[in-house]
Amino acid sequence: MRLRETRVPRAAKKQERRLVWDKQRTRELFAHYREHGDEESRDELITMYLNLVKYLASRFRNRGEPVDDLVQVGTIGLIKAIDRFDTSREVEFTTYATPTIVGELKRYFRDKGWAIKVPRRLQELSFKVNQSIDQLTQRLQRSPSIQEIADYIGVTTEDVLEALETSEAYNFVSLEGERSSDGSESFSILEYVGEDDQLMAVVDDRTMLNSALKYLAPQEQHVLYLRFFQGLTQTEIAAQLEISQMQVSRLLRKTLKVLREHLVTEEV
Amino acid sequence: MGTDHIVLTVPARGEYAKTVRVTVAELASRLGMSYDGVDDMRLAAEEAFVFACERAGEDGEVTFELEVAEDTLVLSVGPLPDACPSPGDEFSESYASFILHAVCDEFGIEHGEHSCTLRLVKRADAVAGDARA
Repeated sequence: MRLRETRVPRAAKKQERRLVWDKQRTRELFAHYREHGDEESRDELITMYLNLVKYLASRFRNRGEPVDDLVQVGTIGLIKAIDRFDTSREVEFTTYATPTIVGELKRYFRDKGWAIKVPRRLQELSFKVNQSIDQLTQRLQRSPSIQEIADYIGVTTEDVLEALETSEAYNFVSLEGERSSDGSESFSILEYVGEDDQLMAVVDDRTMLNSALKYLAPQEQHVLYLRFFQGLTQTEIAAQLEISQMQVSRLLRKTLKVLREHLVTEEV
Repeated sequence: MGTDHIVLTVPARGEYAKTVRVTVAELASRLGMSYDGVDDMRLAAEEAFVFACERAGEDGEVTFELEVAEDTLVLSVGPLPDACPSPGDEFSESYASFILHAVCDEFGIEHGEHSCTLRLVKRADAVAGDARA
């Protein structure tokens, strides 16, 4: 991560004008803390890097959680980073701490995701919608309309749309670690991205893309590649990877969220 | 069927992403769009909303104007502050463009003197036309 005053986005400037840390002082404090177990040095480090936490927490502010709570969660990540940071490695503390803090924030949202209680009626409806999309696609040889899905299972179109929202609420997390058996375990999008590619024009730095992609499982990368690079529809991707269309939809949304967070954060 | 206009203004906060997604999905579904098309529009609406929230700021609002024609849904998001004070904003713009180009039939960012507006066009797939509500 490159932290330079000129590259700090507006939101961060509004919150904290100073995002450049005193490297010399940081080294001194770490030395004190490591060699003498000096708690005061540790506290000073925490205070010193609190604005990094505030900045990173602000990147998650649009998710309906109070920013103060996010700062608290992020601070736990900061403390973990301070305690684990290996000063003998030639890496800036901010570079080391950022993924730890972001990771803590993500875990917070993930745990909350688990806690979302979806009524049984909606769970069942979502399951039926999911099944009917696949069955109708096979029967019609095209992606069915929402009305067709509603008619097929005997509910209203509102119910179907609600089910699409619900499926994300409680399935988002369970996708972690889920793999299909189509060989996409080894898929890496980087092998397919050329230097003159459209995404490279956007990202313009392979290292940055590489580090953002680390957060995606091979199957997620594969779905992303097929949808945005190959221009396949969700129906086509579902058929190719032998997963349901709803799964494709959820994987796509997840990959975009992850990329958005990591690419933008890396850009700091 | 002529063109119907729907205007939706929501606070620029993530908790309203669902409101935006559901509204856009409902309108896409009215046009008889396929599940694929409806889901693309949900994804597009969310990407556009996130982009808009970054510009509008925490206390701002985001306005969606939807034009519903016989087989086309046009979604305009804005006007939004046009300032690009940091490379991060430029990046966010090109990233949003990349995603939105892929899921919409047409996508563009119209720049005014001090503002910009996202414009997304999605056409209903002809095959599902019979299911039009």
